[in-house]
Amino acid sequence: MKTINFYKLFRAHLFLLSAVAIVLTFESCAELDEDPAVSRLAPGSYSNQAELELGVTGIYSQLRNASQWSTFFVSGWSGDDITTHKASNKADFREFDQRSVSPENARVVNNWRDIYAMVRAANSVLENAKDLELPDQDAQNRLLGEVYFLRGTMFFHLTRVHGRIPLPLTAEPELDISRSSQVEVYTQIESDLLQAENLLPEIYPGVLEGAPRPNSGTARAMLARLYLDWGGFPAKDASKYAMAASSAKQVMDNSAAHGFALVEDLEDLWKLENRFNSEGVWTIAYCVDCGLHNRKFGKLGNPSDLFGWQETFAEIRFFEDFPEGPRKEATYRTEHDWENFTDQTNPVFKKIVGPEGDIPLSEFNTNRNDLFMRYAEVLLIYAEASGRSGNVTSEAWEALNMIRRRAEGLPFGTPDPGVDVTSGDIAELAFTERKWEFAGEWIRWNDLVRMERVEQALSNRDPQVSMNDAGELLNVSNAIIGSLGTDNYFAPIPQNEIRLNPNLGD
Amino acid sequence: MREHFTKLVKRGGILGLFLMLMTVGVQHLYAQQKVTGQVTDENDQGIPGVNILIQGTTAGVVTDATGNYSIQASQDDILVISFVGYLTENITVGSQTTINVQLVPDIQNLEEIVVIGYGTTKKSDLTGSVAQVNAESFKDQPLTRVEDALQGRAAGVTVARANGAPGAAVKVRIRGANSITGNNDPLVVIDGIIGGDLTTLNPNDIASMDVLKDASATAIYGSRGSNGVILVTTKQGTGQSKVDIDYFTSFSKVPELLPTLGAADFARIENSRRIRTGGSAIFTDQEISALEASGGTNYQDEFLQSALSHNLQISASGSEGKLNYFVSGNYVDQEGIVIETGYERYSLRSNINTQVTDKLNVGLNLYGSRATTLNDLNAFGRFQGSDIVKALTWDPTTPVRDANGAYNNFSIKGLASLNYNPIANLEQSVVENISDRLNANLNVSYDIIDNLNYTLVAGVGTINSATETYRTDPPFPDASFWSNKITTHQISNILTWQKDFNEHDLKITGIYEFSGRQDRRNSYNAANLAVPAGFFLAETAPGSGQSIGNDLTPSTIQSYMGRGEYNYNNTIYLTATIRVDQSSVFRPDNRTGTFPSVALAYNFGNAPFFNGGSIVSDLKVRAGWGQVGNQNIDPFSTFASVKANSSFAFNGATATPGSSPDGFANPELTWETTTQTNVGVDLSLFDGRASLSIDGYKKNTTDLLLETPIPDTNGGGTILKNVGEVENTGIDVVLSAAVINKDKLSWDVNFNLSHYKNEVVDLGGVEEIQGSFGSTDGQSRAWNVIQLGEPLGQFQGSTFLGTWKTAEAAEALTFGRIPGDAKYLRDESGNRVIGAIGNGTPTLLWGFNNTLSYGDWDLNVFLQGVHGFDVYNTVQGMIVGATGNHRSFLAVEQLNQWTAENETEIPAGGENDAGSTRYVEDGSFIRLSNLTLGYTLRDVIGLKTVKFYVGGQNLFLITDYSGYDPEHTSRPANSATEGNVDEAAGINAGAYPNPRTFTVGLKVGF
Repeated sequence: MKTINFYKLFRAHLFLLSAVAIVLTFESCAELDEDPAVSRLAPGSYSNQAELELGVTGIYSQLRNASQWSTFFVSGWSGDDITTHKASNKADFREFDQRSVSPENARVVNNWRDIYAMVRAANSVLENAKDLELPDQDAQNRLLGEVYFLRGTMFFHLTRVHGRIPLPLTAEPELDISRSSQVEVYTQIESDLLQAENLLPEIYPGVLEGAPRPNSGTARAMLARLYLDWGGFPAKDASKYAMAASSAKQVMDNSAAHGFALVEDLEDLWKLENRFNSEGVWTIAYCVDCGLHNRKFGKLGNPSDLFGWQETFAEIRFFEDFPEGPRKEATYRTEHDWENFTDQTNPVFKKIVGPEGDIPLSEFNTNRNDLFMRYAEVLLIYAEASGRSGNVTSEAWEALNMIRRRAEGLPFGTPDPGVDVTSGDIAELAFTERKWEFAGEWIRWNDLVRMERVEQALSNRDPQVSMNDAGELLNVSNAIIGSLGTDNYFAPIPQNEIRLNPNLGD
Repeated sequence: MREHFTKLVKRGGILGLFLMLMTVGVQHLYAQQKVTGQVTDENDQGIPGVNILIQGTTAGVVTDATGNYSIQASQDDILVISFVGYLTENITVGSQTTINVQLVPDIQNLEEIVVIGYGTTKKSDLTGSVAQVNAESFKDQPLTRVEDALQGRAAGVTVARANGAPGAAVKVRIRGANSITGNNDPLVVIDGIIGGDLTTLNPNDIASMDVLKDASATAIYGSRGSNGVILVTTKQGTGQSKVDIDYFTSFSKVPELLPTLGAADFARIENSRRIRTGGSAIFTDQEISALEASGGTNYQDEFLQSALSHNLQISASGSEGKLNYFVSGNYVDQEGIVIETGYERYSLRSNINTQVTDKLNVGLNLYGSRATTLNDLNAFGRFQGSDIVKALTWDPTTPVRDANGAYNNFSIKGLASLNYNPIANLEQSVVENISDRLNANLNVSYDIIDNLNYTLVAGVGTINSATETYRTDPPFPDASFWSNKITTHQISNILTWQKDFNEHDLKITGIYEFSGRQDRRNSYNAANLAVPAGFFLAETAPGSGQSIGNDLTPSTIQSYMGRGEYNYNNTIYLTATIRVDQSSVFRPDNRTGTFPSVALAYNFGNAPFFNGGSIVSDLKVRAGWGQVGNQNIDPFSTFASVKANSSFAFNGATATPGSSPDGFANPELTWETTTQTNVGVDLSLFDGRASLSIDGYKKNTTDLLLETPIPDTNGGGTILKNVGEVENTGIDVVLSAAVINKDKLSWDVNFNLSHYKNEVVDLGGVEEIQGSFGSTDGQSRAWNVIQLGEPLGQFQGSTFLGTWKTAEAAEALTFGRIPGDAKYLRDESGNRVIGAIGNGTPTLLWGFNNTLSYGDWDLNVFLQGVHGFDVYNTVQGMIVGATGNHRSFLAVEQLNQWTAENETEIPAGGENDAGSTRYVEDGSFIRLSNLTLGYTLRDVIGLKTVKFYVGGQNLFLITDYSGYDPEHTSRPANSATEGNVDEAAGINAGAYPNPRTFTVGLKVGF
């Protein structure tokens, strides 16, 4: 019996010992410390150019998240040039069209979200690059210049919708941030764009026409646009008109170096094959094959009779008033019998659906680029701001006339006494020229705001002459139901933002 | 990590070798005379594998295949003859040389062993709240999946079939949902290995499922027990070898089609809709007459089909000497009731267990399966509605194909749904997921000395899941690939010491355990294939159209645990546990969680003073308290993250890679804790003919791992924080009885009922959090909201007020509306009021299972009910139309729409909000889940048993709900990318319909 007991005990202990030994060796298996770098990009400071480039491209990626949708320009539906379907799911656009925008408007919410995601990305790049000293200083400068340009331009884009906005400038979320005053907002945009101009090269190396990556001229052109706004409502600092004129002039004087020029034929501007063209002062590029499409064009602008989604229509009265000629043909698909469309009778923008045969009717994801700012605008800013700042020069008249000539299908560089104007109120002439030149480009509303002409423009949108086959005069698609006063120019801050941060309600 | 893995396997091998060496020389006999005999069962059949041990020694033998044994023993020795399921016999040898023994079945013991995690206990000794579902209770229901066996059979367990897609995940909840944005799935433990999956398990392999409900029971799984634990025990072979074959085939179809307008009515309503707002008719009278004659196309009908399924089960089991085995195979082939959908699964199991010596037991369970899912509709997305919604809203005036036989990809006149033809989509697209699993569990049990046992449970598993997608949405097809290779390991070392000191019985368990998991995910997309010939031609996509995703996420948990179980005289029971877990998903300072529990029970039945009279034969009361943790967040959650796939095409032709900030860091994250108190009473009635258990509980989950919104102004998205609290209170009742127990006729019933109330008690200082179920009508708002003081599953929407009447024309105009348009509640500034308008979380669930047998006939009737919840039937909103990407009307009720002469409340125009009170319905229902009639023949043509059965599942549904099935929820129960399903409970945005199924089957045993 003794042997058995001994044996038993020995075995038991051996087993215990071996069990303990196994347990202890296994313990090293419980690796409890995480290292995200095993499979992910580590957040934090950059140490090389590749990281900075990834970060900067990432901001553009966020830009496209916002700009691919009509949402990006939703306030443009407030203008007297653009309207939308009278029913269906276009309520968010209709609210702008009818001047009664709810703080729950989904387009406002999405645009706010996407633009601030881009601002966060820009702030994050600036912070991560704070201590970066690249061997290629030019590369570092132009990349950082782009970041400032994108941040400033997006603040600018958003303040045109909402007026006073918050200005987050750090990557760490400032959860109790308040809205800045209008002048503070303009000052920050100016500061960002000046930084950008300072850091960006005259022309960005290795890019196609139309400045798909901004150059110093792009930044200056955007400053010209800023100063023109700054001179009008709501800041009304008239001293800025001179700065708008000088900025535009500066871009014009260096246009060749920046690669900016008008295209000869307006019809060419909206063709897919010309999506990169010299008239782009800043172009947002798209690529369907890359999954990076643009969702504002094609199907979005067609009526249901052409299988369209009826999001973006042309206003009838504006169309009636539009001066006949090549520019009108380049702006609208005038061949359609739009007065007898079965669902909604509104003209169709060629600028949206493309020239005939260009974008297939089934297509809503297109390769069309956004000409966010055209060189034509630089010329017209110069003409208008010269007038408003009381410093009208012959070059200012020439800038205006170049646009007028092209609109008539004439060579823009050759004076034509039948078209040219050299006297009168150049500011007002240029303002009206902008109305026709930029119809359907979501710019008109901003012009109406800065000159406080909303009521004047929107009070009489009723069609005057357009009739259907039954001989009935057509109706305006979406009647105004909100106030046309200055108290209703800007869209409300999204409700949920105020809910999460009450400071944004002040 | 891979190195660790190899090391692990190597060490497992070394361990095995160790054990083998140590067992050499165990057959150490010590004897004076030879005793032989046979051990038989109650039917005089020899029992193989019976242990015969000389009391007080380690010497012993095991009976052979016919129950015979032979042992050397002295006259003073006492033979201890024991076998699972039988009462143990002690026989003094004396002068006998032949000792034959007939064992008496220990029915009490056989039925009442309950698995409690890292051990078992007798049911009568239970202190916690545990529901047991054993194979006996579901053997008469033809099952293809394990969740159906749980449904309605365990009180406090909710099993909701969110949709009828074959192979789809099923929502299982134990005592409600704790977490608002986190995972609420219970922990599944299969044969001791944590983290199993019920979906791919073969129901026929299951011996029992024990559901640990209260914290005193689940605390043993501290780190992952907060959502309850389901312990699955698979079958082991016993007794004579036997082979069972079970085959059934099922025929399924949708119970009923939803009513939609016929083509001619659709055309008439469409004309009136256009004329009403100043347009003109789009259908001529001739076209309408033609549609009247042809009937047009009912896309719902085209989209659904009658489906056939097959299920074959084969198993062989038994014991030979010291070895017992259970091997099984299963083949399931299910067609879906939506065209081109289906599920197929093969599985094999081998459970082998051997008594190496009387002290050492080694078992190895192997399970392998391959599951293939074809065209999971969730993979097609919900953009502008699921494909079910698209089929329900597609233009009935456009045929599926044109005159040349090509698909009409879009509505010819641009009417009704403007999306891609769902028939063309399903018939041409192929989304195929193949999921392979292999699990190996080693179980080693060694009695070190009397009363002290060491058990090692070691498991490794691998899941290789890949989805190949080919989608044909015009103009060009796209292909994509996604795969996740998961490897898991778990090593549990369990020491158990048990001793009986007269009236005091004490058992102590100590555990050291670690487990880990590693996910490797790879994916790519190839857009715009040049050759539209399927997934395998993804290479024909333009180079720039391809994108890549890669990820690797390891995680580890290390745990120490202790449990003490004490009982005094089988009257007072006390259980206490403590578990300490360390999880790698938290930072070092916050990674350790300590989870205690204590439970007490008093058994009046064994108390000397008890006299229950003729009715109550036994009475036990239980009370328990405990805490359990939850760490179920993704690895790296405490770190800020950067999104790598943030590309942009500067030249309009090739994408340049980019990165952008994504998630926010929160190094402070730590365990979410659930504290639960449970009080229960168990009654045994009429000499055990009936039993009743009632449990009441209250559980509070604090420090919720909550996705808290970051304002869009600051970059948007969410940050994980430990904030908020959810409370669940409820009562579970189980009543089971042998109502009739005669020779030929028996009727057993089991009725269980759960009532619970879920409430969000704290949201970290805010009143509400927007939900994450995005509307499918293009309104960019959430259809759900989480509100303080309310249960999870709040619907969010507008309040429908009928139509604007002619008398209100002026007021209507201020909102841009005209009489006959839909009218919604507005606030003082004229904006539509968006608020909570219903709730999708049920409050009452019950199941009523009846098994009747009469001679060779048996009948199973299983009824189930769910009450006290709403369904957000946004599908009906989409069918009505005038919303989203469907501007026409398709609902039958439009035939009674508003006119100037008859101002009904059915709008003739204006925007129809699918997310409004108009589409909130009462979801309460009673379902006949199973009805099966069987007839068994015994001992025919050399077969032991032959059973024929016919039956049906989901044969009737009593409900006021107007859609396919009120149990439907559109968010998949296993959604990884969206939030959890509880937060979006009851929202139906086009779920796959639940089929009605008829089954015929045959079971053969020999």
